[in-house]
Amino acid sequence: MSDDSSGSIAARNERGADRSAESDRSALSEPTTGATAASRTASTPGEELLEIRGLKKHFPLTQGVVFKRTIGHVRAVDGVDLTMRRGETVGLVGESGCGKSTVSKLLVALEKPTDGQILYKGRDVARMSGRALKAYRREVQIIFQDPYASLNPRMTVGDIVSEGWAVHTDVAPKKGRLQRTQELLDRVGLNPDYVNRYPHQFSGGQRQRIGIARALALRPEVIVCDEPVSALDVSVQAQVVNLLEDLQDEFGLSYLFIAHDLSVVRHISDRVAVMYLGSVVEEGTDAQVYGSPSHPYTQALLSSVPLHEPHLRGQKDRILLQGDVPSPANPPSGCRFRTRCWKAQDICAQEAPALVDRGQGHPSACHFAEARTVVPVDVE
Amino acid sequence: MTRPDLSTSPVPGAAFGTPVLEVDDLHVEFRTRSGVVNAVNGISYSLAEGETLAVLGESGSGKSVSAQAIMGILDSPPAVITGGGIYFQGEDLLKQSPEEQRKVRGPGISMIFQDALSSLNPVYSVGYQIGEMFRAHRGMSKRDAKKHAIELMDRVRIPAAASRVDDYPHQFSGGMRQRVMIAMAIALDPRVLIADEPTTALDVTVQAQVMDLLKDLQRDTGMGLVLITHDLGVVNEVADNVAVMYAGRIVERGTVDDVFGNPAHPYTDGLMSSVPQVEAKGGRLQPIVGQPPNLAAIPSGCPFHPRCSRRRLGAAAAPGRECATDVPPLRLVAPGREAACHYSEEVLGV
Repeated sequence: MSDDSSGSIAARNERGADRSAESDRSALSEPTTGATAASRTASTPGEELLEIRGLKKHFPLTQGVVFKRTIGHVRAVDGVDLTMRRGETVGLVGESGCGKSTVSKLLVALEKPTDGQILYKGRDVARMSGRALKAYRREVQIIFQDPYASLNPRMTVGDIVSEGWAVHTDVAPKKGRLQRTQELLDRVGLNPDYVNRYPHQFSGGQRQRIGIARALALRPEVIVCDEPVSALDVSVQAQVVNLLEDLQDEFGLSYLFIAHDLSVVRHISDRVAVMYLGSVVEEGTDAQVYGSPSHPYTQALLSSVPLHEPHLRGQKDRILLQGDVPSPANPPSGCRFRTRCWKAQDICAQEAPALVDRGQGHPSACHFAEARTVVPVDVE
Repeated sequence: MTRPDLSTSPVPGAAFGTPVLEVDDLHVEFRTRSGVVNAVNGISYSLAEGETLAVLGESGSGKSVSAQAIMGILDSPPAVITGGGIYFQGEDLLKQSPEEQRKVRGPGISMIFQDALSSLNPVYSVGYQIGEMFRAHRGMSKRDAKKHAIELMDRVRIPAAASRVDDYPHQFSGGMRQRVMIAMAIALDPRVLIADEPTTALDVTVQAQVMDLLKDLQRDTGMGLVLITHDLGVVNEVADNVAVMYAGRIVERGTVDDVFGNPAHPYTDGLMSSVPQVEAKGGRLQPIVGQPPNLAAIPSGCPFHPRCSRRRLGAAAAPGRECATDVPPLRLVAPGREAACHYSEEVLGV
């Protein structure tokens, strides 16, 4: 959209201000959206929205310049199962290279899965095409990690936020677009008068708000948040986390919240899945996973998080893992974690443990799963 | 309001004995075409042998610039040290010639950085780069330097050091690269190690390994450690004392137990309540409103006042303690702790 056309929209918008009652109803202004969200949640509480079954994504490793030969595969995602219900926040944690971000790209259909299925409202996303895929792409939006790289420096904020409407024209009628953009900016805590500014005029936290407004513009049902706050300063991080929580309540959104910061994930998530080397090793509510972790990797991960309270210092069970994460191009046989696990036995090398409940109360992919308190409970 | 008499109270860090590094009223500014950026505005601290001092702050608080000033690696121009002194074992480094400074830095003070990959030279083997310390400062032969490099790599727990000494930085993982950096930094047995966000780029399990290594090395050598970080958890687990920086100033200083247990500055207080904890799900986060200040236009008076929930403006303020006009000095507010807030006693609740 050029400056010219946004100017003309502004002019039209001013002229149309008198007819605001009418345009309010047709544009997706707050009352309309609020009502839809409310009716949605009322009619179908906790309905399963997304189901991921055995999801795999292998990237080929090639050699040669002219005649490329495939010499192996990087198993970035190798068997992920996950479900997300409406209005819920599912946290996905793991260290760098564990495949979290590939899962997010698969979810928003930027990558095609090698194997497995993503079922959205019961339909396989990989088999969607045409109208169905277009609708899916509108309903499942994404917020990226890097607020500097993910916004086009040559587009104004208004153009960035409203760009999705060029494809999904039915979401916002042409007439009320500027007003709707300004409403969105206001909702995410930015001055609505900033529509004609460029991304470089904003700080990191403000840019992340622009990214959130862009995702909201298409009235999504699911937002995949890929490390949305890890690039931000701590004092600004909390502002964005609170904003995400408010928006969830207001619009009935479901989040897949991907992060490496275990504290932030615990804070925002209803359920948490822990990933290691391409697959989920443990899954449960935040109290289950943090309070009684049963997979050795989860225990080691949690025991490494530095605590903030002086009186809890030294009370933690420290588990120091040896060595580095194996290469996803050549993962260990059987259990992926066995090379660094203190519980490993012969069976671990032969048989990959399934992600099931072995009596510890929530699913864990370990043959010898056993609940253990790692993080001291803050009684103060 | 009466203030407690603190004239006989110890100052922060006094418990550790003779300071090895002292920073006194350091000022650093960047003279750019678009104006002067006041990155460091009069910070003072001292560090004793065996002490770990955490410098805590967000991006743009001046924590890294002050460390670079100590190491003499500021980009000048545009950076200029406009005042203050940096004393190493009593000698003012800023008054020495570059040649004399170089003899101090290396054997005396060394530094590790956040991004280990870009701090290492990609075209030399790690063994060569670690050995460079011995060749440059001790005039060792290449062969002896390499032998020492292997010993150091063992000491920082790089597995199979002898076979990896000829490997290049890109062949190491992030955690291993940071160990190579640490090996270079401790090669000459420095008295002070400055670690600038040493684990920020690392995963949490690797971070725990690296912090453990640093603590063990400190115990063995008795060096002082300046840990620059924005991570409250790392500060709590590793440091003895903490200096909280905001807008190029130290706004609070004391032992970690005191500062984290009961903050005396509203900024520290705000930081604590804006960070979620892994121990509990907790309620809604209480963020600090607004953005960190632009160092080219630091607010008048207390630099934190535009974001402060406890600020007192105009008639509500005590005489000489108006938050928007009077700059609060860093003063003793309780035994062993300092804060730069006119109303620290209220924040502390004493």
